[in-house]
Amino acid sequence: MSQGILNGLRILDFTWVLAGPYVTRILADFGAEVIKIQSKKTSRGAESNLTGYFNTWNRNKRSATLDMSYPEAKEIILKLTKISDVVIENFSPRVISNWGLGYERLKEVKPDLIMLSMSGMGQTGPWKDFVAFGPTIQALSGLTYLTSFTQDSPLGLGYAYADVIAGLYAAFAVLAALGYRDKTGKGQYIDLSEYEAICTLMGPALLDVSVNHKDIFPQGNRSEDIQAAPYGCYPCRGMDRWCVIAVFNEIEWENLCTIMGRPDWAKEERFSDLSRRKENKEDLDKFLEQWTLQYSPEEVVNRLQKAGVSAGVVQNAEDLANDPHLIARDFFVQLEHPVLGKTLSDASPIKFKETSRVEWKAAPLLGEDNRYVYMELLGFTEEELSSYIENGIIS
Amino acid sequence: MKIKEEKEGLLSRIRILDLADEKASFCSKLLSDLGAYVIKIEKPGGDSSRKIGPFLGNSPHPEKSLFFFHNNTNKLGITLNLENKVGREIFLKLIKRTDIVVETFPPGYLNELDLGFEALSEINPKLILVSVTGFGQCGPRSKYKSCDIVASAFGGQMYVSGSPSTPPLKPFGDQSYYAASLSAAIGILLALRKRVHNGKGEHVDISLQEAVASTLEHVMIQCFYEKIVPKRQGTIHWNNSLCILSCKDGYILISLLQQWETLVEWMDNEGMAEDLKDEKYKEEQYRLRHLDHIIEVLQRWTKTHATQELFEIGQLMRFPWAPVHSPKEVLESPQMKSRGFFIEVDHPEIDTSIKYPGAPYKFDHCSLDRWKRAPLIGEDNIQIYQKELGLSDEELRKLSSINAI
Repeated sequence: MSQGILNGLRILDFTWVLAGPYVTRILADFGAEVIKIQSKKTSRGAESNLTGYFNTWNRNKRSATLDMSYPEAKEIILKLTKISDVVIENFSPRVISNWGLGYERLKEVKPDLIMLSMSGMGQTGPWKDFVAFGPTIQALSGLTYLTSFTQDSPLGLGYAYADVIAGLYAAFAVLAALGYRDKTGKGQYIDLSEYEAICTLMGPALLDVSVNHKDIFPQGNRSEDIQAAPYGCYPCRGMDRWCVIAVFNEIEWENLCTIMGRPDWAKEERFSDLSRRKENKEDLDKFLEQWTLQYSPEEVVNRLQKAGVSAGVVQNAEDLANDPHLIARDFFVQLEHPVLGKTLSDASPIKFKETSRVEWKAAPLLGEDNRYVYMELLGFTEEELSSYIENGIIS
Repeated sequence: MKIKEEKEGLLSRIRILDLADEKASFCSKLLSDLGAYVIKIEKPGGDSSRKIGPFLGNSPHPEKSLFFFHNNTNKLGITLNLENKVGREIFLKLIKRTDIVVETFPPGYLNELDLGFEALSEINPKLILVSVTGFGQCGPRSKYKSCDIVASAFGGQMYVSGSPSTPPLKPFGDQSYYAASLSAAIGILLALRKRVHNGKGEHVDISLQEAVASTLEHVMIQCFYEKIVPKRQGTIHWNNSLCILSCKDGYILISLLQQWETLVEWMDNEGMAEDLKDEKYKEEQYRLRHLDHIIEVLQRWTKTHATQELFEIGQLMRFPWAPVHSPKEVLESPQMKSRGFFIEVDHPEIDTSIKYPGAPYKFDHCSLDRWKRAPLIGEDNIQIYQKELGLSDEELRKLSSINAI
């Protein structure tokens, strides 16, 4: 039932790569009709329909082709806008308005339209035209700097986290605007900045620097702000195998010592309370490592969790794919793709009591829904459609 | 201020009870910042997340946690002891006039208190309960304890962050809580829409592990489609398209492959292109095979420049480059200033205002710029218990004496 929540809503989707397609994927997963506008010219790289990347971020959507360099294409977009609820785009600012399809124009044909523009820097400001990928945003926001072991070797996250965060924010914003439209009859233009999105997730650090007038430095897996010791990532038996352990109170500390077969450590003066353990964390970590190295991370974590201590396996992609807990919770979904065959992807972290995915489908082929979009929705005749195709407009 | 002017908000008229600790207090903040009416319910003495630093003036104190400040803007705050029978009775009164409850207790805890989804639905069939926990409400690991580092590890984030010579690295600053809170907030708006259609409430089940695992970009794709298990690559982006290099005064993230000829020409103008001018580097596959050498040459060149210089000139030439900024530099960013991203929020108790990160979106029909700081412990007890629920002075004193509030 949950996939049908947004049934009846139509989204015109001008997004590409990851941040934008992530928003429309969420909306499509829950039943919105998402019409992705593509063209032969732009269907390359991350936008090439037959790649795993494209298939993952564009499931449950429809694809219509249109070459936006033709004036006729703009007329077609206006017709589609008229019968859509939401338009979403993540081009550089100006692309859409250079086509003559900015919000003001679209609103003329659809007065209660909701339009979301998402870009790296937002639609205004001195940096608005800056080119940004996810990692660019992560670097600018302080996240890369602080996700490092030392100040002189910034590392950051190993992937484009910022794009997904911006996508989540955008889905939230669109749903909020839809609720507002239902209540007031008014549409809305939303200007979302991916740079700002990531900065909201740096809140406490930004407040710290701003009110305490101090510099903060990367601390790797440690943090002064976390009231736990031991706390960190420890090597286990095997190649590149790791676990994490976090001990928040004295009971957990005693349980850990018991499990390690070292109840005497619980009595040691230098580990006698949280602040002492934090002071002596180097010694503490060395002790812990000697123990964790003897076991696989699964063994360590199972034993500690049974004793009520927070612990985790540092899972790689293969571990995740085979994770019995994720499998039991249907975290992965298999969809049949006409060319790629059976394909797997993460389902949705948003789970309702009753979830069914019967209507889910793999990502569309390029222009797969041209007949539906142009004939059924816009009422083109067979001849009109062929002539648009011949002229290279629908292409 | 804003909370009183309910009509302004995009989400006004939505009523939320926030029982969440640090794992999801950001969830209802997302809604309260857009005008929802959020009452944070803390146990007497205050929520555990008030112990999380950093702290105002660097001194640990439950009314000075900057973590708490950030995650609880625009909310009202009351204290209530759910483990006390009278406390639960009051809670059920509040449930009758509520749309949404956000909670982060271990699965089963609310059931033990007779406050599980079924029990709450009997009182208010339209209620939406949002549970954010380490591993979700069901499944073999649902009773496991979690926190940010456990979620990051089990969720696959740590394994691919860091360098081959370092341990796996947890992203800075409770990212799993934010990712889960964003998913939960979307879940709330979806459940509200569903409720309009069928009149029924819903139990939304968010797992920190899944929230993290669904941010992984290429990680699962490479595993499912190419049988590749992505590893930590240090400063080089997973697809080798970007890399962090040092400059005279800091670090810059630069692209390695795109607009190659423009880049080489730029370096050559400064006499630093070395052999990269060679024709064979024009072929992308060749460049990928000789990435180490390219990075060495680029590194010699970037070291002769300041980060700001490379950032500005690079961006003019449409390179997706950026300096590795510290939080201090973020606060000074001209882009942020121009867009008014940071908002001054009054803190009358300390006679000053504090600069907060605002919301990352601008809605042209709704302004979001008048904010109220996070509630003090029990700040709105009188407002909620007396004005809303109609309890008398005496009843309130009694509740306080039996530690119900």
